[in-house]
Amino acid sequence: MIDPFEFVLGILGTVQSFTLMVARAFRYLVVHFRFRESLLEMDRLGVGSIPIVFLANLFAGLDMALQFSVVMAPYGATNLLGKVVATSVIRDMGPVLASLVMSARVTAGITSELGMMSTTQQIEALLVMGVDPVDRLVAPKILAGMVMLPVLSVVGDFLGVLAGLAVAMFGAHVPAPLYWSGVRTALTSPNLVNGIAKPFVFGFILVSIGCFYGLRTTGGAQGVGRATTKAVVYAAIWILIANFLISKLLIDIWGWSL
Amino acid sequence: MIRLENLTVAYGSRVILDAINLEIPTGKTMVILGESGSGKTTILKCVLGTLHPVSGRVLANGQDISTLKEEDLLRFRQRMGMVFQEGALFDSLTVGENVAFWLWEHTRLSDEEIETRVRTLLRFVGLESSIDSKPSDLSGGMRRRVAIARAMAAEDPAFMLYDEPTTGLDPFTSKSICDLIRRVQREFTTTNIVVTHDLTDAYRVGDLFTFIKDAKVIATGSRQDVEHSDDPFIKTFLSLDS
Repeated sequence: MIDPFEFVLGILGTVQSFTLMVARAFRYLVVHFRFRESLLEMDRLGVGSIPIVFLANLFAGLDMALQFSVVMAPYGATNLLGKVVATSVIRDMGPVLASLVMSARVTAGITSELGMMSTTQQIEALLVMGVDPVDRLVAPKILAGMVMLPVLSVVGDFLGVLAGLAVAMFGAHVPAPLYWSGVRTALTSPNLVNGIAKPFVFGFILVSIGCFYGLRTTGGAQGVGRATTKAVVYAAIWILIANFLISKLLIDIWGWSL
Repeated sequence: MIRLENLTVAYGSRVILDAINLEIPTGKTMVILGESGSGKTTILKCVLGTLHPVSGRVLANGQDISTLKEEDLLRFRQRMGMVFQEGALFDSLTVGENVAFWLWEHTRLSDEEIETRVRTLLRFVGLESSIDSKPSDLSGGMRRRVAIARAMAAEDPAFMLYDEPTTGLDPFTSKSICDLIRRVQREFTTTNIVVTHDLTDAYRVGDLFTFIKDAKVIATGSRQDVEHSDDPFIKTFLSLDS
């Protein structure tokens, strides 16, 4: 039977280790910035994820426009389709979908890479060579996640809106200018801040959790598998929790305006 | 010189090392022998500062490693070379890049200077032709050789630590690795600790020998000293190997 005291202590210990790792990573980004490694990570994490993120957003845009047009048509409200699709994509669907798809690829990739390095003593070798793994491996990855996810998310949002246009024009018979005028009205400050702030935070979450569990991996190939599963699940959960919290915070700041 | 004073390491209630005292003079090689799981590698981890003892201390050239902060430890380790059991080469880098890694991280040498040094080191271990190979393309013995070259990349390595450097190798390759360890010691006057359970290899590389059993040192000294020990474990260990 699990001792509740030990359980709580374990959680506190994990939170403490995670916080220390993140604090060290940000410190290194300031005092020992690695330009070359950061660029390489941006290429690996960001550019490598372009096809899946774009594909996911494209189909999400198509589906959302389809569902909204079905709901709105009986009320004669399809003229608002552009605004509704753009608002949903920019505020929520775009960032969340991009992050969840990225967590499957990036978090899993990072955890298994660092996990293998841990189990084959490569992390220990770094330490022995006087190099902090957080400096060499974690900090550039976190920066890359925080830079590349907003970029991918914004382009993904555009694709989602564009896909919505196709459904609006050919499915709901909404003229393109009407759709675009609706999209323009959705490009408000609260929506745009939502669309940038969320992927920025999600990028941090999915990379830092991947690094954290990767560096703590023990127990050979089985351990790598366990750590990877754990990291992807936690990253997805924390992305959804953070999504709600950021939405709540921004609504508290801006009120209910769209 | 490396000195271990009353070094005690424990994981919870399980004692791994119990008040160990050892001294390795500068330029000498101490071989630590014992059964698997007897705490041999734990000694290396304490010397590296990756594991903190419950009590006691580790002195390297007078510097107490146990009290160093993480940043000072990272600096201290720059003069230390470690050869891991399987080499622990960075599998995403080539052989040349593995050896160049320390130089990239800690020097401002130009690419040409780094390549010259890398080639010199790889020539020293007999692997210059493998400079562009990936670690996965190398045999076990070749990987250990690259690991030795990588550990020596520091301009002036003062300490070299070897964790089971010949495990899993055939007798010929084992001998060549032992010869290489001896050459490193001779040419760079490094202070070495070699952890092994192979007595033949131990005699090839060692100046001093220590037997560990049940978390304690049961004998330490020259080859003659340990061979004349009355301890039944050492007698059995020596007789099994011969």
